[in-house]
Parts: sequence; C-alpha cells; structure tokens
Amino acid sequence: MVEKASIRKVKNGKLVRVKVRSESGVIENVKVTGDFFAYPEEGLEEIERELRGVPIAKVREVLESTAGGITLVGVTKEDLVEMIEECLE
Amino acid sequence: MESLRAIDFEVGEPANNMALDEAISISVGAGKSPPTLRLYGWEPSAVSIGYFQEVREEVDLEFCHSHGIEVVRRLTGGGAVLHTPGELTYSFVVSDRDPAVPQDIVGSYIKICAPIVATLRNLGANAMFRPINDIEVEGRKVSGNAQTRRNGAVLQHGTVLLDIDPSLLGALRVSHEKLSAKGAKDHRGRVTTIKEAIKRDLGHMEVGEALIEEFSKKFKCKVERARPSYNELSRVPTLSERYKSIDWLFRR
Repeated sequence: MVEKASIRKVKNGKLVRVKVRSESGVIENVKVTGDFFAYPEEGLEEIERELRGVPIAKVREVLESTAGGITLVGVTKEDLVEMIEECLE
Repeated sequence: MESLRAIDFEVGEPANNMALDEAISISVGAGKSPPTLRLYGWEPSAVSIGYFQEVREEVDLEFCHSHGIEVVRRLTGGGAVLHTPGELTYSFVVSDRDPAVPQDIVGSYIKICAPIVATLRNLGANAMFRPINDIEVEGRKVSGNAQTRRNGAVLQHGTVLLDIDPSLLGALRVSHEKLSAKGAKDHRGRVTTIKEAIKRDLGHMEVGEALIEEFSKKFKCKVERARPSYNELSRVPTLSERYKSIDWLFRR
C-alpha cells in the first residue's frame, strides 16, 4: 500500500491537497481538501467514492463522468486529474 | 427583492452562529422567511474552517485549546477564518430563484460583496473586490466571503475585520504555498483591518448600520428590522448539535 499527497496552489484559484492511498496503481482511497468551493458540496464526496477501485488509466474517465453536474470554483477537474495521477505514478 | 430583513448585531456561540445561518437558509429557501441580512459576532472566539478543509492542516488545535478558542466547520467552502471580538460577521440569504442574485457563482460573489466594498469605501478605505471571494485594501485582505447553495437558498456569509488581536493568530496554520502565492511573509502580513486602513476605531454597530444601508441601496429594497422567526430559532438546537459534533469537525 502506498500513500502519497499532492499539494497545489491553483493559479488564480485555491490551495488544494489531494491524498491518495493506492495498491499497485489502483486507488483505495482519495481525499481532496482545501479552501476551494464545490456546488453541490456533497458532489465532491461522490467523486471520492466513485474513484475507489479505479486504476490510474481510468482516473480521467471516472472523474469526467462523475463531475458532470458539479461546479468547482477555485480548482478545475483538470487539476484534480493531474494531482491524483501524480499520486499514483 | 422588495424588502430585506435586517437582524441586528448580536454575539453568539460558534455552533449556534452556524446553526442559525443554516436555519435561516432553510426558511428562506422554503419561502417562509424574507431575504435576510444578519450581523453577528463570536463569543468565545473561534476558528471557522471551510467545508472541504482538513482541520489538522488549518488549525493549531493545541493553541486553540489553551487559548479558549473553539473550532467549527462551516457549511460553506473557502478558507479558515479567525473570529475574535474585533471581527464582524454577516450572513446574507436569498432564495436561489431571486433574480437579484446571479446564477453564476463568481458573478454572485461580486454582486453580494458589492455593498461591503461600498461600505468600506464610504468609510475611507480603498477597498476592492479580489476574485474569487475576497475584499482587499492595498493588496491585503480585510474581508473573506463564502457561499453555499442548498435548501433552495443562496447563503453567503463572511467576515469584516475591524481590528485584530495578533496574540490569537497562532490559532491558524497558514501554509507556505499560500503565503508565497500571496507574496506575504506571515498571516499578519496578508490581512489588514478597518482600523489600520482608516486610522480610526469603529464599533460593530456603526459598521453594521453602514452595511445594512448599502445592502438596501445595492439591492434596491427597503429594510425591515426583525428577529429570527420562531421557525428558525426552533431549528437551532438540533443543527447546533451537528456543528458541535466531533464527526462533523473531523469529517475531512
């Protein structure tokens, strides 16, 4: 099991921390924290749940399909994909 | 928006403050209460953290414990705020169908922050809105704001710093990433206060009255002074329990 974190001050945005626990490149748990905004707020928790059991190659796909109805402010979906992938590499 | 209910400045406990904002948003969203501007303070002093923040990353819990500072997680996103006696908090709640507030999130911050910027400028501070959700004087933050949309309402609450007690700043853990992005050496360098900006001591009532007047002007509505409704107050104890719970505080 590997635990990695990625931290980023998004340009013109917020400070975001992504913590990923994984096993052989497959996500066991993801936690995204920071001073950003998401509407609805529970949407972010849904993204985290959907990402469990997902391998690195599928992160973008899963994030794009679950984040559809969620408005992120201060961080983008692209930031999240990059940061999660970084933690899995 | 025809009329705005103004709830006068009152000091409350951290969990009750958050619970009352939520109760008001439930009633406004259900059409049972009018659009509302509430002004309040915090006793004891507290740190409020954003919905998505990890408490241990943002708050020095030992410092808070030894200084009698409470910690509460907000319903809204955004950053950690230190609420001390020198700080004025407002909450503004409207129906999410009210055309006075743009559907676009970033646009609605500008709209709801406009009366705060105007108030500060009237008082003589060179205040400017700084996207996404801050108001600054000479590049230093004097007001932070955070918004949520749920239960059919838009709830925006925020802080206006009248004065600061530097001895309590140790409550906040401010990351190096954030400071360097803002070009500041420490937290004190990032923030300013009305007192510092206009070299005058203003009371909560004075600033509060000025805010109420500017909200009424910018939203072109009359002001009605009122207390929270029975409906709202009756929800506070239950909601407050959640804000006090360890599960809620450590949920992220």
